[in-house]
Amino acid sequence: MDAIRTLLEDDDVRSISRRYFISNGFDGTLTSIGVVVGAYLSGVDEGLTVVTIGLGAAVGLGTSGVWSVWEIERAEKQAELMRIERAMLTDLEGTEVQERRKGARKINAVASGIGPLIGIVLPLVPFLGHGVVFSLLEATLVAVGVGVALLFTFGAYLGSISKQNWIVAGVRMGLAGIVVAILNLFLPG
Amino acid sequence: MTPPIRRVVLDVLKPYEPDILEFTAAVADCESVDGVNAVLVETDREVQTLKLTIEGDDVDTDVVEGTVETVGGSVHSIDQVVCGDRLVEQSGTPQDR
Repeated sequence: MDAIRTLLEDDDVRSISRRYFISNGFDGTLTSIGVVVGAYLSGVDEGLTVVTIGLGAAVGLGTSGVWSVWEIERAEKQAELMRIERAMLTDLEGTEVQERRKGARKINAVASGIGPLIGIVLPLVPFLGHGVVFSLLEATLVAVGVGVALLFTFGAYLGSISKQNWIVAGVRMGLAGIVVAILNLFLPG
Repeated sequence: MTPPIRRVVLDVLKPYEPDILEFTAAVADCESVDGVNAVLVETDREVQTLKLTIEGDDVDTDVVEGTVETVGGSVHSIDQVVCGDRLVEQSGTPQDR
């Protein structure tokens, strides 16, 4: 636990993890909005079917997030270690420097996988209430709303850490969700 | 019996991470070490050079060097050693001028 805490206090680990989390979370949320709007327009009549399709996308994007970052960071961190080894004229195998990079890679990969999971699963939640709380149209509209709110949160968070206006940053990101929903309306069929 | 080492000054090369705080704390954590003074001597693109002044009643230099290596550093040279029953400071001579 101490090792994880130390890694999470490291600005580089936090910064890289944050990028993967937000970037893949953004992908996941837009995918989810696309799936729910597309499913509604295609005439899917069961909320649970939409959830199942969405979970398929979540598995795909979640796995992609973890796997790709695992490999990307393996290469990046190995290259970084080799640069330091060349500068130090020594082998850093088994040292804390190498162990720390291994730990950082795990945190980067987990953050990268969690982003799309949250981004896809949260907008699907209203479909669990189909037939009880919402009609299919209502569930779709609420799902788009949840997705846009999530994108707004990502943007507002990025705005707050970079001292931008968090509302403007949030609106900029949230707008993407509305654009995707509208673009889906023009799909053939 | 070998006289105890009271002070050892090391020239150490280390990567930026772990930083000087963590690095010094790791060395100070060695059982035979009472205190450590770390001075940043030089900063390069990938590495830093530190001068570590380590004191204790009987500093175990093998353990200290092992710790330095474990945290990613490398001892370039031992620049000063003070050993014996008491701490003896370097005395000035006319040649020092």
